[in-house]
Amino acid sequence: MNTARRPAYAADAEHHRRDAPRYCPRCGCDLVGTGIAVEFWEGTNRVFHTWCAACRWTGDITPMTQMVGHEPEH
Amino acid sequence: MLTAEMNEELTRVGPGTPMGELLRRYWYPVAFTRELEDFPVTRTRLLGENFALFKTPNGRYGILPEACPHRKASLAYGVVEPDGLRCSYHGWMFDHSGTCLDQPAERDETNFRDRVRADAGAAQEMGGLVWAYIGPAPVPELPRFDVYVMDGVRDVGWAELPCSWLQIMENAVDPHHVEWLHGRYFEFIGRHQGFTAPASFGKKHEKVGFTAFEWGIIKRRVVEGASEEDDDWKIGHPLVFPYNMRVGGGGIEQMQIRVPIDDTTTRFMLYTTHAPDGGVFGDQPTVPDYEIPWRDDNGHHITNYVEGQDIMTWVSQGAIPDRTTEHLGRSDIGVTMLRRMFKEQMKIVADGGDPLGTVREPRERIDLPCEKNKFHAGAGFALDFMSMGSTCFSPQLEELKRLHIDAAARVQPQAAAS
Ligand code: FES
Ligand SMILES: [Fe+2]
Ligand SMILES: [Zn+2]
Repeated sequence: MNTARRPAYAADAEHHRRDAPRYCPRCGCDLVGTGIAVEFWEGTNRVFHTWCAACRWTGDITPMTQMVGHEPEH
Repeated sequence: MLTAEMNEELTRVGPGTPMGELLRRYWYPVAFTRELEDFPVTRTRLLGENFALFKTPNGRYGILPEACPHRKASLAYGVVEPDGLRCSYHGWMFDHSGTCLDQPAERDETNFRDRVRADAGAAQEMGGLVWAYIGPAPVPELPRFDVYVMDGVRDVGWAELPCSWLQIMENAVDPHHVEWLHGRYFEFIGRHQGFTAPASFGKKHEKVGFTAFEWGIIKRRVVEGASEEDDDWKIGHPLVFPYNMRVGGGGIEQMQIRVPIDDTTTRFMLYTTHAPDGGVFGDQPTVPDYEIPWRDDNGHHITNYVEGQDIMTWVSQGAIPDRTTEHLGRSDIGVTMLRRMFKEQMKIVADGGDPLGTVREPRERIDLPCEKNKFHAGAGFALDFMSMGSTCFSPQLEELKRLHIDAAARVQPQAAAS
């Protein structure tokens, strides 16, 4: 068993850097430096709360690997 | 979670940085008025820069960069004269606006004097504090928030903390921490140290909400046993952008001030005005202030009072926390919203506008929304607040308790007697 300790949460930081939205979904402006994308987690989702400085679009962006629906009582 | 660049941008407060430019649009308390009464010039540090703060005999305050424009000796060791501050090294003299009035060793006709200026800020007094503005002209009005100008008995605790001001502001939009840090943890420490922690702080949060408004963000909560009809939700209390939080309840009105001294140092101040209904307030020629102890002789945090617990979390997060490896959840939306607000306001400043909370018209008093009945806990809140919070270190603790007890007796004679 490999017990060597690795820097805490380095992989999470790396995923954030890789997946944080780089461009505004509305106007396509560069978010890096001008906008902001704050990542928070909810259940299995990673949510990027995003704001674009150029067009002021504000919203949450949630990458997904699977569409999940629900079945109403019947 | 943030990228390292974003964390950097949000936490650097020096001149020329985007956050530094935003923060330079606000007034900050930089000294107690009593300090300049004791001695009319002092050194003060704000947003990563050092200044000489002085008071001329006519009662006017001035603030100049500490380094003399001549050969950079400290003006904080200058000579205060009727018209301004004179450098003690070669006698160059500057007035409140930074104009050089005298260069004794230079020949008068050379007009060298007119080519030298000290980059002066603005300074004035309010509520026993000296306030400074070091940003670009035009100088905005100093906001006269209610706690600083209302009638009551003032009491100011302070501490200098080795961490960024931003994490302290994030705490101001984090209602959940109260139930854990000042609830469960308080109770745990009490059990081990032999005291009973106040029950009202441990109440479970059922719902939290945040609303942007003209001075910042209003924070709301519904605690167990309360409803949306209660003050904690209906009124809430605000984060006053960009460096304060207004709290209160039970006749205690408080501004929690977090002055960014530099990237990794914050002057934390609890400016409290005790103003219970029925209270009789005497004269206070000077506003009493005291340092709040937050570390013991072994260097351990003192955590048996409310703000000591807060300070433990802020300082232990690190001088600048590594936000690239934090893990925010849905309960951190207040924090998320605050970071966005900082970015929005940086952009407004970059575009040449006035950021949130800039006051351009003089106003006598600015009232901030703040709940009266805190945590659904009634009047007992005031006494808990004092004995379980930093006020327990106040030299006027006994007088303050008496003020609240007497006021309650005057308002509700039967209830106090029973
Ligand atoms: S649970 Fe929030 S910092 Fe540990
Ligand atoms: Fe707290
Ligand atoms: Zn956009």
